[in-house]
Amino acid sequence: MLKDYFENLEKGIVSSIQEQGGKASPRKLYSLEIARVGKRLYSGTNKVAWCGVTAPFDLLYAMGLTSCFVEFVGAMLASTGMVGDIIEVADHVGYSSDVCSYHRAVTGAAIKGLMPRPELLVGTTNPCSGGLGVIENLARHFSKPLFILNIPQGDSDHDVAYLAGQMRDLTEFVSTHTGNKLDRERLKAVIENTNKARELLIEVFDLAKQSPSPANNKDLNNFLISLALILGREECVDLAKAYRDEFARRIANNQSGVEGEKIRLMWIQNRIQFRNPLEKVLENEYKALIVIDELNDIAWDPIDPDDPFEGLARRSMSISFNGTSFRRIESLKRLAKDYKIHGAINPCNWGCRQGTGTRGLIEAGLRDIGVPVLNLEVDCVDERKFTEGQFRTRIEAFMEMIQSNPSPWQ
Amino acid sequence: MYYLGIDIGSLSCDAVLIDRERNMVATSVVPTGARNREAIAMATEFVLSRAGISRDKVKAVVSTGYGRDRVEEKLTSVTEITCHAKGIQSLHSGAKVLIDIGGQDSKCILMSDKGTVVNFAMNDKCAAGTGRFLEAMARALQVDINDMGDLDAGADGALTISSMCTVFAESEVVSLIAEGAGVNEIVKGLNRSIASRTVSLIKRVVPDFSGMQFAMSGGVARNKGVVRAIEEALDYNVFVPEIPDTVGALGAALFAIERSLQ
Repeated sequence: MLKDYFENLEKGIVSSIQEQGGKASPRKLYSLEIARVGKRLYSGTNKVAWCGVTAPFDLLYAMGLTSCFVEFVGAMLASTGMVGDIIEVADHVGYSSDVCSYHRAVTGAAIKGLMPRPELLVGTTNPCSGGLGVIENLARHFSKPLFILNIPQGDSDHDVAYLAGQMRDLTEFVSTHTGNKLDRERLKAVIENTNKARELLIEVFDLAKQSPSPANNKDLNNFLISLALILGREECVDLAKAYRDEFARRIANNQSGVEGEKIRLMWIQNRIQFRNPLEKVLENEYKALIVIDELNDIAWDPIDPDDPFEGLARRSMSISFNGTSFRRIESLKRLAKDYKIHGAINPCNWGCRQGTGTRGLIEAGLRDIGVPVLNLEVDCVDERKFTEGQFRTRIEAFMEMIQSNPSPWQ
Repeated sequence: MYYLGIDIGSLSCDAVLIDRERNMVATSVVPTGARNREAIAMATEFVLSRAGISRDKVKAVVSTGYGRDRVEEKLTSVTEITCHAKGIQSLHSGAKVLIDIGGQDSKCILMSDKGTVVNFAMNDKCAAGTGRFLEAMARALQVDINDMGDLDAGADGALTISSMCTVFAESEVVSLIAEGAGVNEIVKGLNRSIASRTVSLIKRVVPDFSGMQFAMSGGVARNKGVVRAIEEALDYNVFVPEIPDTVGALGAALFAIERSLQ
């Protein structure tokens, strides 16, 4: 099912680009790359590694693996509108409906034979324990070896060395189980591409910060978290360049992503993955733009291509979910100030400790700098729990509230 | 000229007609039922006939509530959160915290001195503790929902209703009746459980109650027992307008004046 889906998606996008004489928006190019990630995963010929969100995908790519975080499958199934039946399969084997639907979808997909059989699995202890549990279950389901990266919560030199050592061990583990040896020159070239993409992406986000922003609500939706899957590839560099050039062009032409932009918002954690009208409501009725997603943040330094393991470790530890809530809140405050947002939306994804456990602290932290927060309480994957009227009322009331109060940046 | 506010909720459709001096001229509350367009027409017809004016004297209509987009002749629609805040400010300007419990949701709204919404919270995930919840409990107790407001009076203590899921609470109530528990004590227990849930919602928005004046709107505010339980839990008085159901529609009517002048 998903093999056909990704193949058809790729064909459709390619033919649409051809019809436009080879022209494509950066978002279309992004969708094409995501379709190709899916196609590689489901090709049946590539060596696949199912991973946690903070795994070093470029390192695994350099070692000849097609790697992906498992939640990608949950998100894709949600976007196809077929996730309900698959989640039910996970429920049948005992999962509670209060468990994160990303992970129930992945579990259901594995049971139904919708997950490609991996060569190995790489779990990560960050960002969530639920994801690690799913990977452990998948390792048992597929009877395949599992390597767990224990991501330290601090960021001391000792912590970095500890994780870098594990990443070196990971290369040995991959070699043992796939026969693929680490080629230092190939890894160097991959990391150089990662660094090029990083520089360009920083430019992209700097351009997006402008007021009005050249980005629209779709451009950077689910962006960086999925882009991590192609880090290290030439295509990632090209895609980042396309975004940079398009945003620069829009700014030069006084073209804003949302015409008449009035309200700037931050989306905390992941977006809602299934089709829903909320972003259109924001854009069409309130001229509101989600100008920054929490996960569209590059808080890591360039990686040394000759000795990348410390840099890769620092990158895995840099995600704002790692460490204390205080650290995460400071990161959100920084983004709020950098992007001059008027409000933040926290979906509080059902069953997600990162999404719901800290919501009061996040709300209080952002309110300290004058930024109100809307807690949505939405299941971002299972559309059967989505009641449009309820969510629309909350979003619209939040917009009305922002409109009737002074901007935090006045 | 006159201005009409219509609040189409899950249980009732409320209409308020005001004149250009912002005086309330007529109100109506009709059941929404399954066909909300019919309810809208009925509520409109009632206020116009009560006021003795024809439709062409209405300069602007603003709608609110879950069915707000169903009002075809609206100038605009505004959410019930903003409308309830607007409405209560015109009735009690000192109110800073509004508790609104309607048919399927409960809200706590914090307002500025100017009556704008500063923060709000709504019930999440389920509608326990709302009007529908009370309807189900009245059915289980075999009492008229309109009589429930006085049934807590004279209760010899309150029974604990441990669950706030409507279905489970209903079966719990049925079990209590079967065990011979008194209706008054059960009702008092239900009121307390709603109050406890409501105060949790308020605390999310207003961590410190000092200097706050509370008000309550929505159909559940007609239930004096629930209001008493909330006052006890808050340890503050709660202002309840004469017709709490129509506060949202009043706010919508006030927006009709403002928006038609823009």
